[in-house]
Order: sequence, then C-alpha cells, then structure tokens
Amino acid sequence: MSFAERMLKIDRRIIFVVIGLCTLLPLLYPVGLPIKISPEVRGVYDYIDQLPEQSVFLLSLDFDPASKPELHPQAVAMLRHAFKKNLRVVAMTLWVSGTGMADELLTNVANEFGKQRGTDYVFLGWSPGGTAVIINMGQDLYNAFPSDYGGKPTKGQPVLDGVNSLKDVTYAVSLGAGNPGVEAWYVFGKDKYKFELGGGCTGVMAPGLYPLLRSGQINGLIGGLRGAAEYESLIGQKGRAVAGMDAQSATHVAIIVLVALCNIFYFTLRRQARQQGSQS
Amino acid sequence: MIFLRRQMPLLITMITGLIFAAQYYVPHPASEQLLTSATKWLQIIGGFALVLGVTSLFHVHAAKIRRKEAGWGYSVVLYVGMLGTIAVGLWANGKESVEGVSTAFGWVYNFMMVPLQGTMFAILAFFIASAAYRSFRARSREAAVLLIAAVIVMMGRVPLGEYLVPISGDISQWILNVLNASVRRAILIGVSLGAVALSFKIIFGVERSYLGGGKE
Repeated sequence: MSFAERMLKIDRRIIFVVIGLCTLLPLLYPVGLPIKISPEVRGVYDYIDQLPEQSVFLLSLDFDPASKPELHPQAVAMLRHAFKKNLRVVAMTLWVSGTGMADELLTNVANEFGKQRGTDYVFLGWSPGGTAVIINMGQDLYNAFPSDYGGKPTKGQPVLDGVNSLKDVTYAVSLGAGNPGVEAWYVFGKDKYKFELGGGCTGVMAPGLYPLLRSGQINGLIGGLRGAAEYESLIGQKGRAVAGMDAQSATHVAIIVLVALCNIFYFTLRRQARQQGSQS
Repeated sequence: MIFLRRQMPLLITMITGLIFAAQYYVPHPASEQLLTSATKWLQIIGGFALVLGVTSLFHVHAAKIRRKEAGWGYSVVLYVGMLGTIAVGLWANGKESVEGVSTAFGWVYNFMMVPLQGTMFAILAFFIASAAYRSFRARSREAAVLLIAAVIVMMGRVPLGEYLVPISGDISQWILNVLNASVRRAILIGVSLGAVALSFKIIFGVERSYLGGGKE
C-alpha cells in the first residue's frame, strides 16, 4: 500500500485527537484575535440600541440544550443589551425541553442588572401548539399565557402594561434551533401582526435564513457562535462566545488542512493509477 | 360507516380548510374571534398529542421488552428514565426550582438532560471532521467548485481565517448574501408552491393519505 493510500485510510481516531486538541488548546491558551462585525448582526444590535426605554422586547428562546453552546451566548448578550437599555423584556419559548434552561438564563442575567421579575421582565414559559401559540399571542396574549412560568397571572403585571397582543410588541427576536423558530415567527407572527422581527440561529441554519434577511423580512440575523461573539463585542462585554472563537478558528483551519491533505493524496493516487494504466 | 370514515373527514377538511383560507383575508371581529378559538383548540389538541406520543412510546418499547427483541435492554433504560423523570416531575409539581433552590426535577434537567443533549451534538464535530477528510474530494468540476466555496466560507467565518486571508471574509459574505440567498430563495419558492398545491389537494379531497389505510 502506498503512502497516499495509507494516509487516505488513516484511523479516524487520529482525526478525533487532532480536532480534540484544536478545540482544547485554544480554550486553555486563548489568543484573542479581533472579530469583524457583520452587517447582519449589526442590524439586530442597532435596532435594539435605538429603542426608547421601556419599549417591549419579546425574546423567544426556541432552542433546547443541544443548541445551548451556540444560542445561549446569543441570548445572554441580547438580554444584557436589553437590560442595559432598560427595555421591558418578555421572554418565552416554543420548545418544551428548553424551558428550564431559558428561565435560568433569564433569571441570571436579570440578577446581574438588579431587574425585578414582573416589573422589568417576565418569563411566560412554554405553551403547547407551536405556531398556534404565536397566532394566539397575536390575537390575545393573556389568552395564550394566562399565567407566567411561575404561576402568577400575566394580567396586571407592570412589565406587560399596555401589551394586549403581539401588535403591541416593539421588537421581537427568535433565537431558533429549528422548527418552530425564526421562519414560524415571520409567517405566523410578523406577517400578520406587523411587529419588527430579528433572528438568531445555529451556524448550520444561518444560510437558510438569508432569503428572509435579504428581503427585509427579518432586520438582522445572528448566526451561530460567530454571531454571538460579534454581539458580545458590540455590547462591550466579552463572554463565552468570544472565548469559543479561538477554538472554532483552530478547528476550522484543522478541517481545511485535513481536506487539503485528503485531496492531495487523492490526486496523487489518481496520477499513480493513470501512470500504471499507461505503462501496462 | 364508510360515511364516518371517509366522507365526513373529507367534508370537515374541505369546509375548515376553505373557511380558514378565507379567514386570513377577512378582518371582521367575528373572523378574528374564530381564529382565536381555533388556535386555542389547536393548543389543547397539541397538549393531548404529547400524551398520545408518550403513550405510543411506552407501548412500542413494552412490546420490545416483552418479545426480548434486539436492543431490548435500551428499552428498559428508556422506561426507567421516563418513569423516573415523570415521578420526580410530579413530586416537584413540575417546578425546576422553588425560591431559588433546585428541586429534584431541576436536578434531573440540569445534570442529566442538559449535559446529555449537549454531548450528543458536541460529538458531531468529530464525526464531521472525519467524514470531511474521507469524502470531501474534488472528484469532478462541480465538486471542486463546492470544495473551494466551502474552504472560503470556513476561512471567512472565523477570526483566524480572516487574519490569515483578509479577503476571505468579504468573499464569504458575498457567497452567503448573493449566491446562497438567491438559490435558497428559489428552493423556498419551489417548496412553498408545492406546499400550496398539496394544501389544495388535501382541502379538495384529492390527497387522502392522512386518512390512513384500510379498504372501503
């Protein structure tokens, strides 16, 4: 077996070790390369930044623990921005398995800023039905969520003063890991109830949401860990996303090198086969 | 009997489908109230669907355990996990924390579900790298174009890539905003038109697969 053949059949555990080292070492020894801000992320940031105080900001945390590494930092960065701007935060989730995680993250960030549940923010929790919940909220928010996640009646809470439906929401962002997610919020929410909508998603999903971004159906898109890192840089509070970018950089470059090597060996083998074919 | 199994569901589908297709364009308060009521029913049915899903899961795995089929041990693990979580959840009244103190249900969620789900997706990175090494080869011109575009986007989406090749960031943005967006839009329009056609077929009873099998 030639060297090229042996390299193409290399034990995949060696590749696993390479990827593992590329992920671990930058986390232990961070480099801190500068992060360029994309227009997509700036779209969301600028819109929130220009909102007047006490505007109603709806954040739908439509993800489960599987997508936590990418979407949790996005949520933390956006909530920090919203609380800094003294917006009224209404959080919820359309994914039942993400409910506990969403409540915990909202509570932790709110406590950083001394925000009061019921006055400055509310977590509505989860309600079954997926897209039906969005429509129901658009018709009557108190019908969709008669009580919040803690069991307190939603009607009468100061944070929801003047908010009867999605029509009264100033800005909504869906951080989605699938369906229901950003597309569902546009189709069943923004299109009918006419509020401004932004999106956040995993890196894998981001290219699929560019048509919505280019047509103005969403005014910004935070894609994956990179998007979260950009948002953290914009708010001036670097966190897990920025820390993770070094590891992601190393892993991307490692995969590119592996793919390049694979193609070099592949073409070497092809040339050898052709030469043997012409000789025989 | 055939009327109840065939004609009536088709009639309900057609009437409801036409009413709610028209409802979207009728801003009258009665129309809005109809939508509110219908979505409330949908939420209730969604809640029942959860119960149905769990019951079905129990039933399937109970059969597997009874017949001692291959992998029945995993079915036992599933049973233990589900029953344990349900019991703990009921005991904690569905609350993950009470006055800041984590309940047993919260413990199961935070220390079992969250790490397990995260781990499942984290190991994907390793398999993707291995699969990319074995199969991402420029066997043809199209594969070569795909490979080059993928490399540019991978470089452009990380700070190290933009540092090493500064232009990769701008090119990857162009690929995503122009090439990718246009093609995705075309696919989205095609899929949406297909969904509209399928919806019409279901509403008018041409497509009946949702009724299930069985001879008339």
